Amino acid sequence: MTSIIDAAVAVNAIKTYGEGDSEVRALDGVSIQFIKGKFSAIMGPSGSGKSTLMHCLAGLDSLTAGSVSIAGTDLAPLNDKALTSLRRDQIGFVFQAFNLIPTLNAYENIVLPLSLGGKMGDEAWINQVIETIGLGDRLKHRPSELSGGQQQRVAIARALASKPEIIFADEPTGNLDSKTGSEVLNFMRQAVTNLGQTIVMVTHDAVAASYADIIVFLKDGKIAGEMTEPTPERVLDYLKHLGE
Amino acid sequence: MLFLSLKMSLARKGRLFLTSLAIILGTAFLSGTFIFSDTLNRTFDQLFTGVYKDVDAYVRSSNFVEVQFGGEQRARIPITELDTVRDVPGVVDAVGAISAYARIINKDGSPLGTDNGPPNFGAIVSESFSGLWSVDTGRLPVGPSEMMMDKWSAKKGKFAVGDTVRVNAQSGSREFALVGIATFGNVSSPGGATFALFDQPTASEFLLAPGYVDAFLVKSDGSLTDVELAAKIDAALPPSAKLETLTGAEITKEEQDLIGEALGFLSTFLTAFSLIALGIGCFVIYNVFSITAAQRLRENALLRAIGASRRQITRALLVESLVIGLLGSILGFFAGIGLSRGLSALLGAVGFEIPASGLSIELRTVMITIIVGVAVTVLSAILPARRAGKVPPLAALRDTAIETTGSNKTRFTIGLVVLALGAAALIAAGTGANIAFLGFGVLFVFAGVLIVGPGVARPIALWIGRPIEKLRGVTGAMARQNAARNPKRTARTAAPVLIGVALVTAFTAFASSVKAEIRDTIGSQFRGDYVVSAPNNGFGGLTPTLVDELGSMPQVGQATALGYATIKINGKGEFVQVIDPQTSAGLFEIEMVQNTQQSLTPSGILVSESRAKSRGWTIGSKIELTMVDGTTKELELQGTFKPSGFFSPYFIDRQVFVGSNNSYFDSVIYLKLKDGVSAAEAHDPLAAATTDKGLGELQSRDEFIDSQSGQVNQILGLIYGLLALSVIIAIVGIVITLLLSVFERKREIGLLRAIGMTRSQVRSTVRWESVITSMIGAVVGVVLGILMGVILMAVLADTGVSAFRLSIGSTFVILVLSFIIGVLAAVYPARRATKIEIIQAIATM
Repeated sequence: MTSIIDAAVAVNAIKTYGEGDSEVRALDGVSIQFIKGKFSAIMGPSGSGKSTLMHCLAGLDSLTAGSVSIAGTDLAPLNDKALTSLRRDQIGFVFQAFNLIPTLNAYENIVLPLSLGGKMGDEAWINQVIETIGLGDRLKHRPSELSGGQQQRVAIARALASKPEIIFADEPTGNLDSKTGSEVLNFMRQAVTNLGQTIVMVTHDAVAASYADIIVFLKDGKIAGEMTEPTPERVLDYLKHLGE
Repeated sequence: MLFLSLKMSLARKGRLFLTSLAIILGTAFLSGTFIFSDTLNRTFDQLFTGVYKDVDAYVRSSNFVEVQFGGEQRARIPITELDTVRDVPGVVDAVGAISAYARIINKDGSPLGTDNGPPNFGAIVSESFSGLWSVDTGRLPVGPSEMMMDKWSAKKGKFAVGDTVRVNAQSGSREFALVGIATFGNVSSPGGATFALFDQPTASEFLLAPGYVDAFLVKSDGSLTDVELAAKIDAALPPSAKLETLTGAEITKEEQDLIGEALGFLSTFLTAFSLIALGIGCFVIYNVFSITAAQRLRENALLRAIGASRRQITRALLVESLVIGLLGSILGFFAGIGLSRGLSALLGAVGFEIPASGLSIELRTVMITIIVGVAVTVLSAILPARRAGKVPPLAALRDTAIETTGSNKTRFTIGLVVLALGAAALIAAGTGANIAFLGFGVLFVFAGVLIVGPGVARPIALWIGRPIEKLRGVTGAMARQNAARNPKRTARTAAPVLIGVALVTAFTAFASSVKAEIRDTIGSQFRGDYVVSAPNNGFGGLTPTLVDELGSMPQVGQATALGYATIKINGKGEFVQVIDPQTSAGLFEIEMVQNTQQSLTPSGILVSESRAKSRGWTIGSKIELTMVDGTTKELELQGTFKPSGFFSPYFIDRQVFVGSNNSYFDSVIYLKLKDGVSAAEAHDPLAAATTDKGLGELQSRDEFIDSQSGQVNQILGLIYGLLALSVIIAIVGIVITLLLSVFERKREIGLLRAIGMTRSQVRSTVRWESVITSMIGAVVGVVLGILMGVILMAVLADTGVSAFRLSIGSTFVILVLSFIIGVLAAVYPARRATKIEIIQAIATM
């Protein structure tokens, strides 16, 4: 059953590549609901389909069968223009690296989705976000003048700026050292807890995953399990299980 | 290594094609120019060989006047010595020959043939010595009222044997009965020229003067060699007759060389433009290889890491450029064959009809095309190849920034120095130095601008991009930044546009000024109501009796004629202007400095002030005049006038020429109507006496001024046509650079698409980047072009800089066209940008 409190829903999502003998089932019938206001993580070994699931949920890729919807909107009938608008207005993205446009400064990067849509956005909200991530003095700097951690924080601010329904983060701490990584994860945690956002993070890092409220485990394109109130130890343990 | 490199280049077939395109187009132009010139040369060589096929010896006057760039005029000879020649043992037959001006008039009264194309001749045709003329229909003409014409003219004018044909020549306008149609060898007419053929007495009387011809054609019986025969004939002729004898081979070669000289100028002119196109191609190649090297950074670094040397990397890229250059040149050569036809069509379209039959493809054309094409490609690739070799192996493991930073100080300073040198050379050329300074100046200025380019490209791009950012929001802002982020690449991409726009602007500005000056000059000199101008340019003109005819018409109050003649002034061949001071007062007035126009008498000459000064002449100085027929006269300098680029520096009284034993035609007749006679009243009677008879073209003062300045448009059109190819290469350059930029920014575009940029917004970003780049070239090019136009005016026109007039309209059009070019160049790259797969693009490693 899907309700409006679900930020993103997948029902029997199937994604295949290739044909016949060489067919690969990246997603093999995944059904999942991501609840609003929660910090969720998707974990699994390489080839488990976690990135594919995120891509399909975010409207970056299309399913072979099944359905996905964002805040109640089914993505299947949407054409490219509609999907693009959806991504712009209702979804936020944080990638592992190369998140920012090098020719724009930090502030311009933060409001980029809004500018693309020709909107002004909620100024009070944007200021609050900027304050939260603590980069107020660096707004006019170009990405090349920011550290890796600072760049990721700008990316998070951008993801938050348009008040999206859901934010997808793909290995956001993958390129960062542990100290900076935990700073970034803390911000994401704050965004959910204090600012009421919804974040779905794909990660292979147990420590990162432990910041989430709920972890979904994928293996071979299927859901292999769930964990609430995770800790790094429990996660590592579970992953070991999964590997067998 | 080589194999790997070739494989890498083949992997990107699209890029390979586009890179080759620049070379193909440039070499096509070069080979096309050569093929065109060679074909023309051969056409004329064959023509003359045909004309003189049966001529074993050629007798002509030894009196002639030669003008630099103007050919030579030879005196006419009396037919009386023909018997002497006939009596020389070894001579089978000898006849008189004439090649004078004669214009056949169509049935509707318009002149047959073209004004700016093959000449219109009147000649002799006789039974015994018809040369290559053979009777196609009818028979040879006999007597003063009969004529033949060439088959081409007959077809064009729809004439048939039995028709009455009007022909205009020096002595006037006359009607003849067409008794025959002739072919020349196996063509309807040699080179498309028109021929009105008469028997000798008629031809002499009608075309030159009774009893005179231009030359004797002699046929040998074969008992002597041509050289021996010529010597014998020469010996037999009295020295007082002032005749000389050449062999048939000698006269053929002489005429071939004369035409060859003229064609040489044309060919040099065309080749210059093809070199411009190739020069622009250099930029495109340099740019492409730079970007290619940058993109293969990782692959090259990997190769270095596993043991390839710098040399090997460099060499690989150079070999790739060699292959591209070779293939491109070969394809370009073949394309050049088609292009040579295009050149012929272009010249025809702007009014210069040149007959070119067949194709003359010389070995040297193939070789030069390939050598130049390969050289241009490889030389353009040398610097990028060396840079590619310098890549550190570590770059394979780490992500190094591909974008290069701005200029370095030394480069900028060098550029400014070169620019300053160029400017100095141009100023020197403008104030009277050798014309070579003009060439060097232009080259150095261009080079200087291009060296300085990357240093200023960024601020200029940001400045030009500002309105676009205001208008187009974030996509405009990104386009603006993208154009500015790699100043070196932007400068190199804008450079071809810059060169093309600068040249177009310079020529346009020069043409505008010339046109304006024509208007001013004619406007201030000519005070009358109507003008009758000659239908031909250069060869022939208005019959000298026409001005008197018109002057005696009831509607005409005053008529004066202006003509040109070729004479020697103090031994040097010159063109002089011929006026009638009696009838020109108040109707055609030149701006005099010393004395008046009416001071001119048949024993005097008016000289331009600058010419008089440079020769040290003053009022009263004696100047020797030698006419084509050898007669000399001493003239007194009777006045000086303000020099102008449109006049020769000499004016002589008409009475010196009319009635002399030299051919003379008027070129313009100015008319003022009687008081009380309106222009409308006078038009038809005047037209009946002139245009309707094909004797000349009647125009009102304004129409005349328009058509004169309109002739400048002809040449401008030709130059535009020749520059068109360079512009196309510039566009190809922009397309390539954009494609490669899009490819480089794949990840960025993927990111943008992911966070919500629509396809049309992506296209917009690419498009505006292209427009900004193109406009950088256009704006700087226009400024440069105007400067060059001013200098050109100062160098070529005696009146100098003060006459420079800028056409705001043309400049605006040029800018708008550059804008459109930017938009068009972006179409394909923008489409490619939207086809980028988001997931692939943003995938990390």
